[in-house]
Formats: sequence, C-alpha cells, structure tokens
Amino acid sequence: MAVPTDVIPRRPTLLFIVVLSLLFVLMSFSHQTRYLGETRTMFERTVMTIFSPVPKLVNWVGGSAQDMHHGYLDMRAAVRENVDLRRKVASLTTENLKLRQSEGDLKRLRSLLAYSEQFDMQTSMAQTIMLDTAGRFKSIIIDRGAADGVQVNDVVANANGLIGRVVLTTNDLAKVQLLTDNNSSVGTLIERTRRQGVVRGNGGTGVHLFDIPALSDVQVGDRVLTAGIDGVYPRGIPVGIVTRSEPGQSLFKTVAVKPLVDLGTIEEVIVIHTRKIPESVVRYTP
Amino acid sequence: MRWLRFAIGLLVALTLHSLLDSFYPNALAFFNPYVILVVYYSMGGNILGAIVAGVLAGFVQDAFSNAMFGLHAFSLTVCAYVVAYINSRLSLRGTLAFGACLGGAVIVNELVIYVLVNILVKQRIEMFEQALLVKTIFTLLFGMLVYQLLRMFLREEPIEATRRPTAW
Repeated sequence: MAVPTDVIPRRPTLLFIVVLSLLFVLMSFSHQTRYLGETRTMFERTVMTIFSPVPKLVNWVGGSAQDMHHGYLDMRAAVRENVDLRRKVASLTTENLKLRQSEGDLKRLRSLLAYSEQFDMQTSMAQTIMLDTAGRFKSIIIDRGAADGVQVNDVVANANGLIGRVVLTTNDLAKVQLLTDNNSSVGTLIERTRRQGVVRGNGGTGVHLFDIPALSDVQVGDRVLTAGIDGVYPRGIPVGIVTRSEPGQSLFKTVAVKPLVDLGTIEEVIVIHTRKIPESVVRYTP
Repeated sequence: MRWLRFAIGLLVALTLHSLLDSFYPNALAFFNPYVILVVYYSMGGNILGAIVAGVLAGFVQDAFSNAMFGLHAFSLTVCAYVVAYINSRLSLRGTLAFGACLGGAVIVNELVIYVLVNILVKQRIEMFEQALLVKTIFTLLFGMLVYQLLRMFLREEPIEATRRPTAW
C-alpha cells in the first residue's frame, strides 16, 4: 500500500516530539537521581565508557606535549645556565690564580720581613730583575742601588738562607755574586759541632766546604751557617745542608753542601747593610 | 559515509572539548563545538538524521559535562530539527547561510538550556545575556572557519554530501 506523500514529512516531526519527550523524562530522572545522591545514571556511565578513550588520549597527548615542552625549556635553561657557569668558572679560576699569586707573594714577603727583623743591622727589600746562573760568573741583578744605600759587600739573603754578596753598585741597581760562583768564599761553621770552614762555589749548582780536618765530625744532613769571621757575612745566616762528607786525599775532608736557597727561583731578597771593616784595620799588621 | 563523517566530527568535537577542559577550563563557556557539528550535519535537510545526530552529540556532551544528563541532547535535538526543517524547505547554501543557521542554532540552544534549567532546577543562569553573546560570536567565527576549511579540503559542498530527500 502506497503511503501518501503528504504524510511522510510529518513522521520526523512526530519522532522529534517523541524523542524530546523521552529526553525530558531522562533529564528529570537524571536530575532526581542526582538529588538522591547518585551522580551518574547507568545510561550516562555507558556513554562515558564508550567515549572515555578520547579524553584519556587527549590528556595523555597533552600531558606528553607539556612534558616535552617543559623538558625542552628546562634543557634550554640548563644549557644557558651551563654557559653562564662556565664563564663564571673561568672568571673565578682567573681570580683564584690571582689570589693564589697574591697569597704566595704575601707569604713570601711576610717570611722575608720576619727574617729581616732577626738582624739588628739595617736591611732593605729588593726585587731580582735579572738572573744569570748559566754563565761562569753566577750573579743576579737587583733593583736597588747606591741611591737606596746598597754598598759593595752588602749581604743578600732571603727567608731560606744566604744568596750572596753585592759586588757592584750603580745608582739604582746592584750586582750580586751568588754563593755558587767560582770566586765566592764564605766563612761558615757546622751548626751541630761549630767546626769552622770555608764554603766556596763550584761554578755549578752546589758549593763545597773546605778546610775541614779529616778527623772532624761532619755528617750528611748537618746545617751549615755563616760564621761571621770573614768580615763580610754576619753570623748565623743558613747557607746549606751537608750532602756528602768523605775523607779526602790530604788532611782535609771533602764535604759537599747543597745551598738552602734555590738560586733559580729567587724573586724578593733582603739586602743586609753590614758594617764594613775599615781597610786600615784589615791591612794592619803589627 | 555521512555517518562516518559524523562520527569523526563527533570525535573531533569531543577531542576539542577535552582539550579545552584540560588546558582552558572555562573556554567551553564561550564556545560550543557540538553545535557546529550538529548544524553542519542538519544543513543536509534530512530531519531524521538530524534528530539522531542531535541526540548523539548531546549525549556525548552531557556525558563529559557536569550538566543533567539529557539537557544538551534535548537542546541540540531542537537545534538540529529546526535547522534541518528549514533546509528541507529552503535550499540554503554557502558560508553565509551556514553562518546564519549556526548563529541561530547557538541562540536557540542556549535559550532551550536556559528554559530547561529554570523549569527543572529552578535556577537562574548568571550573566546569561553576556555569555550568549560571546558564545554566539566565538562559535560563529570558529564554525565558519571550519566550514570554509572543509569546503577547501573536501572540494565539495558538505551539505550536498549529506543531503537526503526530506521524504524517507
């Protein structure tokens, strides 16, 4: 049986009304169950269950994207921080080196100052400006001269011990003959036994102690001090340590001494303005 | 094919819903992706299909919002019916026609919700007029953009693709 064409468009309207009525009932029911404490109807839960993967996926993707974004930002921040820290480390290292240098200078100068205070003679500080230990004549040049009161035969030392004596002065510079020079002689004594001898340079890096009788008690490790008997060096300045003591072929021992001062690393020195013995007294013979 | 498109559209709307809920919790007060979907589908003029689409989209929106279950299904069904009814009698085409239908549908949707909430819950919706205005503007703008994009990429009139004779 054919359905009249004018009836067909009415059916959706009828369906529409039926659907709206059902939805209204569902809404009322839903409202009522909420009022009774039930938060979701079974139908509502079913719809939620069917479609729940979508919000879960969105949350997962969103969360991952957020994590990646934060991770990226954190990484950028870490890289920036790393660069800053590297710069800071470089700057602090430089500063640290400067401070260490200053600390070293301070320590050295303090010890030098304390050492210079041991002498009742006048002293002055000087800086080494030239070092010549390679040639035959072992010497250094210091930045103090006659204008600063430096005279020939003034003694030069540092906190470790004896360095040498002034052999030449200009107005503002002075040349110092080192202990190790071939022509250098220092009146010394063994600290432990008070046995006197003469220390002479060997032209190399060490010195020898001469005029020690073969029967004298000299042992390796004995400290050698200036004796104050040569008219140049005051008494008590450390010179070196005995490194070898052997009976010589003659009446005297062969004694090698290692200077206490590392003559290759001299920086600041003390110039001790010793009291000079007048020439007339030196040359006087009764 | 049209139901597949609708299903995809529904998933996209739900994705948008979840996305906005997660990152901009109040954004859905100013924008309704389900109305766009339902209007797009209803513009084919198939009243029965429009009713089913309205109910389904409404159920999904209800399930993931805190409203009474059926509230959005009701309002979207009304919108779908009105839009489909008009399109079964007038051949509305183009972006402007879609915009006009969408704007009207948003207003109808909000008015229906307003009335139902007043009747069932006996509650007044705060700042209803302002919310309605903002929601209409944003939904309209977004919907027209989506419509244009679909026309560009599908290279066919979406309405034609879903159009069915009014007699079923």
